[in-house]
Amino acid sequence: MTLLLVALGAMAGGVGALVGIGGGIVITPVLAMYFGLPMHHAIGTSLLAVITTSTATSSVYLERHVTDVRLGMTLELATTVGAAAAAVIAGYLDRRALAVMFILLLVYSAGSLVRRAWKGRNEQPQAEIPAYQVRRYGLGLGASLVAGGFSGLLGSGGGPIKVPVMYLFMGVPLRVATATSNFMIGVTAATSAYIYYGRGDVNLAAAAPLVAGVFLGSITGARLAPRVRSSYVLFLLIGVTLFLAFQMAMKLAEGKLG
Amino acid sequence: MKRDCEQIVARVLQAGAWGSFALIAAGLAADLAAPAVGSWLVKAGMVLLLATPVLRIVAALICFLQEGDRKYALVSLGVLAIVVAASLAAVPVGH
Repeated sequence: MTLLLVALGAMAGGVGALVGIGGGIVITPVLAMYFGLPMHHAIGTSLLAVITTSTATSSVYLERHVTDVRLGMTLELATTVGAAAAAVIAGYLDRRALAVMFILLLVYSAGSLVRRAWKGRNEQPQAEIPAYQVRRYGLGLGASLVAGGFSGLLGSGGGPIKVPVMYLFMGVPLRVATATSNFMIGVTAATSAYIYYGRGDVNLAAAAPLVAGVFLGSITGARLAPRVRSSYVLFLLIGVTLFLAFQMAMKLAEGKLG
Repeated sequence: MKRDCEQIVARVLQAGAWGSFALIAAGLAADLAAPAVGSWLVKAGMVLLLATPVLRIVAALICFLQEGDRKYALVSLGVLAIVVAASLAAVPVGH
């Protein structure tokens, strides 16, 4: 059991670091379906894994100078408010409602990963980041509020909102947007995690081996990232998210999802 | 000068990540021999993990103040206030 959780954490952390996501999208459904955790506990426990990925990989991205710390901290003003409010709301929601929303999030994430794999198929890893001027802070703050809300409600899902908004509307290069989103995830997830923890929705026995695995996986992934073709990892992740969405829908229909 | 704040924030995150991993891994190992020690170490590691995002906001705040960047010092202070308020509101009654 402990070793399985370490392995789950290492895989989710590794893939998360390679693709630039928190990994909660994979961890929450696996904890809920195969480790028998109630939805609220699965989300609260996976939030700790998300903090770990962000914390462990952010220092690597900061050293490569691809993180916009000022932009990240500005948008955190909104993600943290969204995260705190949604984490409180999640406490009043039925576990099946959370499961349905999570299935939708899995499908949406798969879609956004497909788009990214398609757009990035000819992309060459650039050595230099072009100079940029951040625009439309208002829109960015609004999107961050929603992204934080997803983090608080479902423990993940902020990245697929923040990254496209920063990239498409705020004039931020894609690599900077991904690194900055990853940087923000730690503070955002921590804000929700305090509320889940206070409510008793964090399973420490499961979280400890999970977090240890996530740490090992994400530092490895972050160091491998410049050398690995991310499209292969993207296709793997698309397959996994769709499989998990299908499994979750089946279990939900059978009434087996607690 | 922007690079200095990046460096300090990176160091805080790195220390928090490695420190919490070391405590949790030691706790999991100790759990086999002495469960009381193991669970204490795991809890300490979790507290450090949960505190690290706050510590990195504090680090950025101090660094922005030293650089005289009042706008972003204020932004950092705002984020810190929200996160601390959430953590205080989350403390369960009676614990």
